[in-house]
Amino acid sequence: MSQLDDLKSAIKDRLGELECVIGWEQGYDALHATPLFIRTEADLDRLVIGPLAVHNLATYLTAYKGKKIGVVVKGCDSRSVIELVNENLVNRDDIVVFGLCCDGVVSQPKIRAALPADPGFVESVTIGTDELKITVAGQTVTLKKSDVLADKCRVCQHPNAIIADVLIGTKQNPAGANSLACQEEFEAKSDAEKLAFWQETMSRCIRCYACRNACPMCVCRDYCIATSRDPLWLSQDNSPAENMMFQMVHVSHLAGRCTECGECERACPVDIPLMLLRRYMNKQVKDVFEHQAGTALDQTPPLFTFKVEEERIHERGW
Amino acid sequence: MERYITKQNLTRLAEDLAKTCRVLAPVSSCGSVTFRRFQPGMTMDLHSRMAAVSPKAATFPQTETLLVVKRDATEKKPELVETLPQGKSVVIGCRPCGARGKLIFNPVYETDKIKDPYFISRRDNTVFISLACDRPETTCFCHSVGSGPADTAGSDILLTLVGDGYVARSVTPAGDEIMKLALFEDAGDKGKEADAKNAEARELMGEAHDYTSAPAKLLARFDDMDFWQAQSAKCISCGACTYMCPTCYCFNITDDDLGLNSRRIRTWDNCMSHTFTLEGSGHNPRSTKAHRLKNRVGHKFSYYPDLHKGVIACCGCGRCIKQCPAGVDIRQIVNAAQEYSE
Amino acid sequence: MPAQDIRELRIVGFLCNWCSYGGADTAGVGRFTQPTDLRIIRVPCSGRIDPLFIVRSLLNGADGVLVSGCHPRDCHYAEGNFYARRRLELLKRFLPVTGIDARRFEYTWVSASEGQRWQHVVTEFTHRIHELGPAPSFNPMSEVDWNALALQAAQGQGCPCHG
Repeated sequence: MSQLDDLKSAIKDRLGELECVIGWEQGYDALHATPLFIRTEADLDRLVIGPLAVHNLATYLTAYKGKKIGVVVKGCDSRSVIELVNENLVNRDDIVVFGLCCDGVVSQPKIRAALPADPGFVESVTIGTDELKITVAGQTVTLKKSDVLADKCRVCQHPNAIIADVLIGTKQNPAGANSLACQEEFEAKSDAEKLAFWQETMSRCIRCYACRNACPMCVCRDYCIATSRDPLWLSQDNSPAENMMFQMVHVSHLAGRCTECGECERACPVDIPLMLLRRYMNKQVKDVFEHQAGTALDQTPPLFTFKVEEERIHERGW
Repeated sequence: MERYITKQNLTRLAEDLAKTCRVLAPVSSCGSVTFRRFQPGMTMDLHSRMAAVSPKAATFPQTETLLVVKRDATEKKPELVETLPQGKSVVIGCRPCGARGKLIFNPVYETDKIKDPYFISRRDNTVFISLACDRPETTCFCHSVGSGPADTAGSDILLTLVGDGYVARSVTPAGDEIMKLALFEDAGDKGKEADAKNAEARELMGEAHDYTSAPAKLLARFDDMDFWQAQSAKCISCGACTYMCPTCYCFNITDDDLGLNSRRIRTWDNCMSHTFTLEGSGHNPRSTKAHRLKNRVGHKFSYYPDLHKGVIACCGCGRCIKQCPAGVDIRQIVNAAQEYSE
Repeated sequence: MPAQDIRELRIVGFLCNWCSYGGADTAGVGRFTQPTDLRIIRVPCSGRIDPLFIVRSLLNGADGVLVSGCHPRDCHYAEGNFYARRRLELLKRFLPVTGIDARRFEYTWVSASEGQRWQHVVTEFTHRIHELGPAPSFNPMSEVDWNALALQAAQGQGCPCHG
């Protein structure tokens, strides 16, 4: 049986006891999937998985607190589930995790860059093991999956769901690489270059808060300090400084909690490379606290605790 | 008036216009196409794809300074400075749907009783040079909301790609004025080719969906929260759809205080946000995303048409579908209401 | 050149009530000469300092931000500064990726009796900020600056991630 069939039968077994199971279905065109809320066996027919199933469905979990629900997760998404459980934001017993062994998802911006015409003109998509055959505006091209793989997948260390009540598929190996060239290139720039980059990039931001609301760990949502008038952290003015301030709010509230699922960057309608900030913060967290959020149950986020003697924080000479 | 302009000359036109007015054109940066203030040296990205954000900001900027308050440490009385927008703007290379969006504002921002000077001033001083579409994207449905890939409503000049340039048709005196410039040449019989291309693009869109029953059918679902909860399940309640929409016109007004100076600004607001309807008492009549999505869809396809001669407050550009992080499809929601049977 | 001799810069200081504010007071009572660029904001404890206070100050135009609390193990509330240390260290390490010079922010510990140490900290930090000069504004100051940025973006010298 295929991975999809296995998943369907596993969901079918548990559906009766659950409010719903969150998976994916085909979206508005052949190149896009969209979240699917499975309530009946008939809904199961629409379930899809694969490289287009990009959404981190753990984002929806907190909205169902107190109800028993199922969720289909990739390796990266499972880290978000773990972090939510560790922070007591969801109850482990209320969630049935259908874990996938994932061989990577695509990056839509990379597909867009590789196609001969706008992906909006897509006519059909055939997904093979290592390639995607895409017909767009009458032309058919074959893209190697490795060329259009999302950045997070290129350095993925957890392709198989870390926690799962049912684990579906054959286990995949972690990626060999653990750092991205684009990240290193950016970090090597001078302060002035980096500042200019963020000034320019943040001038494109429309502060729609898609990055915030797509984030599985941003659980305040309706009560976010970004939209509060008292205290007033942010002006409604969408100047680069205010937009950057919001990103700083996001990054600092995610410090030691970010599971690097990349949803913020994926959700951004104007393609701001937000993961440059997130990955950098996560690297610092790892360096100072040897912590990677959502990689094991019963971890405490490093900023929720302290040590009297910090091994890796050194006093500066004054 | 019908004339022709080469691609090269269109760039020169943009450069020339930029000397005297604010030119907004689609520019690609970081792989994202957005409308930017154009200046010589920039490359307009007219064809790779439709701009992610609509050209709405030309007539309705995300942040509009309504007035400035200046205080002097020594003087007691603050000075109020009015900031009505000045100068002319030209938008080059938007799609017909983007230019048409501002027409939805008119019955709201300019009535017998209420006139919004900021919007009206910007609208009356902005020329839209639109580019007709060759073929529809999977998210396009302008033909279903009373428009089409070569619609001139809201535009001053409509360009259609023919050969290595564009057939330009002006539909307003402001458009005529620009097309008198020497950069434009005689169109010859290229007009026929443009007609054929426009017709072909319309053909490719297929049959239009009939939204006639939508206002009544959506209203019939008004109290059916089960329906709206199911429709909004995947919505993450961000503001991407509203901020990118050419027709969304809601705003917020806040005072920004910094030191001795402060200003009153009007910024885009978004009905998908919890704070949009949050009342001073703490009560929120639209407390869940289901309530909020109901409002967004209902407003565009039911309440607005009921108030304004049946006009749907949507220009069919599909940005809200394409850019939604969760893939919420407004067409599907309206269809579901239209096809709903008890 | 002593810092006092040139134009003052804007340095914001967040000081805990029990140790560092007292330390600054001690320095004052002891008439230790200090540069005057620092604007002190007194907070109950360094644990009260949200790293976003610092970011907000920097984005609002501060040329430098100095945080000072009780020495570790000496917190009036027993453990506030232990939490603060983790947060402040992360912020300090994070700033470089934003293009904000991390030298514009510093945190340290000064007790209420360390008037001389306070004098030293303020003098050193102020001196450092003067060497760095006024901070560049995050919002481009003029239309010329703005155009330069837009042009840079439009020429495609931008994003390392989307090509």
